[in-house]
Amino acid sequence: MMLGPVSWILLAPLIGAALLVCVPSEQVRWVRRIAATATGIPLLLALSLIFRYDPVAAGYQWVDRIPWIPSFGIDYHVGVDGISVVLVLLHAFCAFTGVLVSYRISQRVKEYAIFYLLLIGGGFGVFTSMDLFFFYLFYEMAVIPMFPLIGIWGSKKDRDYATMKLTLYLTAGAVMALIGLLTLYTLSPVKTFDLIALREAFLRQPLPPATQWFLFPFLLFGFGVIAPMWPFHSWSPLGHAAAPSAVSMLHAGVLMKLGSYAILRIALPLMPAGAVDWLPWVAGLACMNILYGGFVAMAQKDAKFVIGYSSSSHMGYVLLGIACLSAIGLNGAVLLMFAHGIMTALAFAAVGHVYDQTHTRILSDWGGLIRQVPFIGVAFAAAALASAGLPGFANFAAELLVFFGAWESYRWAAVAAVFGIVTTAFYMLRAVRTGFYGPLNPKWTGLKDATPFEKIPYLILITVLLVVGCWPQSLLTLIQSGTGPILEIIQQASVGVLP
Amino acid sequence: MNPGFVIPTGWSALLPELALTGLIGLILIGDVLLKEEAGKILSGIAVAGLAAVGFLVAAQWDQPARTVLAGMFRMDMLAVFFKGIFTIAALTTVLIARQTPALIRRGLGEFYLLILTATLGMFLTASAGNLLMLFVALEMITISFYVMVSYHQEERSLEAGLKYLVLGSIASGLFLYGLAFLFGTTGTADLTEMAAVIQGGLTESPMLVLGLFLVLSSILFKSACVPFQLWAPDVYQGAPTPAVAFLSVGSKAAGFVVALRLLIELLLPLGGVWIPVVVFLSGATILAGNLGAIPQSNIKRLFGYSTIGHGGYLLIGIAAGSFLGTQAILFYLAAYAFTNLAAFLVITAFSKTTGSDEIRDYAGLSRRSPFLAAMFFLALLSLAGVPPLAGFFGKFLLILSAVDAGHGVLAGIGAIAVVISLYYYLMIVKTMYADEPADPSPVPVPTTLRIMLWICAAGMLGLGLIQKPLVNWAAAAAQTLF
Repeated sequence: MMLGPVSWILLAPLIGAALLVCVPSEQVRWVRRIAATATGIPLLLALSLIFRYDPVAAGYQWVDRIPWIPSFGIDYHVGVDGISVVLVLLHAFCAFTGVLVSYRISQRVKEYAIFYLLLIGGGFGVFTSMDLFFFYLFYEMAVIPMFPLIGIWGSKKDRDYATMKLTLYLTAGAVMALIGLLTLYTLSPVKTFDLIALREAFLRQPLPPATQWFLFPFLLFGFGVIAPMWPFHSWSPLGHAAAPSAVSMLHAGVLMKLGSYAILRIALPLMPAGAVDWLPWVAGLACMNILYGGFVAMAQKDAKFVIGYSSSSHMGYVLLGIACLSAIGLNGAVLLMFAHGIMTALAFAAVGHVYDQTHTRILSDWGGLIRQVPFIGVAFAAAALASAGLPGFANFAAELLVFFGAWESYRWAAVAAVFGIVTTAFYMLRAVRTGFYGPLNPKWTGLKDATPFEKIPYLILITVLLVVGCWPQSLLTLIQSGTGPILEIIQQASVGVLP
Repeated sequence: MNPGFVIPTGWSALLPELALTGLIGLILIGDVLLKEEAGKILSGIAVAGLAAVGFLVAAQWDQPARTVLAGMFRMDMLAVFFKGIFTIAALTTVLIARQTPALIRRGLGEFYLLILTATLGMFLTASAGNLLMLFVALEMITISFYVMVSYHQEERSLEAGLKYLVLGSIASGLFLYGLAFLFGTTGTADLTEMAAVIQGGLTESPMLVLGLFLVLSSILFKSACVPFQLWAPDVYQGAPTPAVAFLSVGSKAAGFVVALRLLIELLLPLGGVWIPVVVFLSGATILAGNLGAIPQSNIKRLFGYSTIGHGGYLLIGIAAGSFLGTQAILFYLAAYAFTNLAAFLVITAFSKTTGSDEIRDYAGLSRRSPFLAAMFFLALLSLAGVPPLAGFFGKFLLILSAVDAGHGVLAGIGAIAVVISLYYYLMIVKTMYADEPADPSPVPVPTTLRIMLWICAAGMLGLGLIQKPLVNWAAAAAQTLF
């Protein structure tokens, strides 16, 4: 049977990993080439899908379906809709630029590349799976390689604790979600793991509201751990800080989005009445994310911790957008997932570049680096400005939508969330000032700026931020075609539930 | 014509057992005749013989079920499925034994013999159609293991053997006592007739319930489940590695075939009485095994605890008391066989060179032997239940069967224990990959072990990615009971 482009996006990194097993580990050049090809092909395919996706027809496109275990209703079933096509593109950008940034890794390159490609394949799998079994399978496949990636190539000081904490937190969340998924399977009138079939079955014959109320938290908090929802976020800044640059980029850029994507894709459409009951609470937790993460980030001295807490703060906006349950909120949330992913990848790449030479991430130890590494300094400043919501960058458009959504649905949350913007501006700009401006620390006079080849990933990421920032409608049309059907289900349910 | 001289047609059902008996005779004679170079030749004979037995077993698949020896012996799909697992385990154990230096010094011939007698016992357990046959078969397994466990003749091994002997004898006594009650209440020792009597409405008899719980205790001992799990860590640490490998895969599977035959096939009408107990014991076993494994520093002792945890998972399938539960047990056991054998192959190869079973000595194994480290990594992840490896789908089915049967809390415990087990398995991974080796010399891997490891890796990945064939086989085997 012929496989479509979506399958190839997913298979390319996995085939790359399998090839690497056969390459001798001394052939570092070939290892890097294979890794770059195995992530470059998905990027090209993802770009072509973005241009070819038909938002008028909407729904899933380029669907591949192979019966896998018929007796349990498990199929290999992949495709992309308006939401996933955007997130696949985000993942492809982060994966490819991550490989380019990883060219600096010189120790045990082959093993690194294998784990890295498995992680990438898992990520693509999550965003494209239309079958809950494969969704879970890919989800774990994206989580577990983190353990060796951080444990072996992470920064020595804190990697042991950080990587174990990350893996256990995320797996605990995953198994909690698994219990929810299995219960849904046993309760459904059709014995299938197919997302579309389940959605239709539950639409015809909804679960009793009490059951939905009971089951929804399993998926909400199970997937919420990776989102990372307050108070389950503490694994995330630690993990960011200990991980090597490319892994931080993927971790904050893509991995954290898996959680909010799963809530949006699985929990909302399958248990709409549960969502209506629970999401006001999520709005509250999201505010905690935003404010708590923001305030903690203000107190950090370590560059990676600043971005780490800022990520958990900004993912609060994504959760808030989802909690709004309105078109504008959901669209904003998905666009913010994209924008924040690109922005945070850029920031981690820049910090990693400096850290690899200075071996310190304490901002006050840096000082005046812009004179020594002007390109990296500008890239970091661009990320900081994007994060602070400067118009022209994609983040501005996305956060604005989330605010509008929040203002309609939860006025108090919108008011609280505004403070998040203030804190972001404070800690990001302070980081730029302490780290890159002021007098140059004489220790760093030997620092090297990015070579032309090393500049490529930064240029790609900045371009994407600006293009989407100036023309957000390009992605929003796609996103809207994906969030529309979810909202319809929610509206039907709330009409049924609320008299 | 005198009917005594006609070989009954049903006897072809016994072919694997007959072949195995022949093999035992051959090894016995060979061991006596070839005293000096016995090791190599005998292991060759044992491997070839077991492979042949494997073919005979495979040939029985899809044949109609039948009964021979006046109901003593039943050949059905469930038995054939289990015999497949036993054969794989026995074959790998022979190869492991060949690479265990302490055993080579002591003479290997008898050890092969014991492996094969235990295997024959397992075969007969899977096929027993009568309580007496079942008891004799189980004793055959247990007595073979008494000797295997204490084979080293050093203090720890003898202590392990003694512990196993004393506790095992008590369990055998309980089993026999329980059988007496079952026989007394139903008036027959034949399992098929007994099932008919029980289904006829004998559920309230307190004697039957007493018999049930006595039998259950013995099953729990065999498969190292709470509250009879205490022997496992000591025995695992002290016994020779091949004995441990066989104990953890073969003996555990034998325990569960008895559980399936007695609890599911025979006593399911009494489910109201025993299912709540098994649900509780299953959860307790999972927690006891996985929590106990956390502080261990010896790899074999750690596997002693982790194997208790796996027994707890398998009990979930019994507690579900359903077709799905049975199917899940069968899938899990097959997946677990490949996975656990892979782990013991690594342990064998490692201790052959380094002479150590301490986890801290595994430091930097990824540089001393990338192959061994990678295989151990795969096996540990599969044991923990990480996709896309075989162990994941086994746990997936078991937890699904618990949810399906309405044991939500048990499913939750099973899910949480995945996280706990991931902790101690990943600690080993960390030691192998992230820590610096104290002695950076390479660890060579003998060719036979290397080949077996590749086979196990193919099994772990193959069963984890393409689950359909095994799922269907497990369904066909589970059909026997329902």
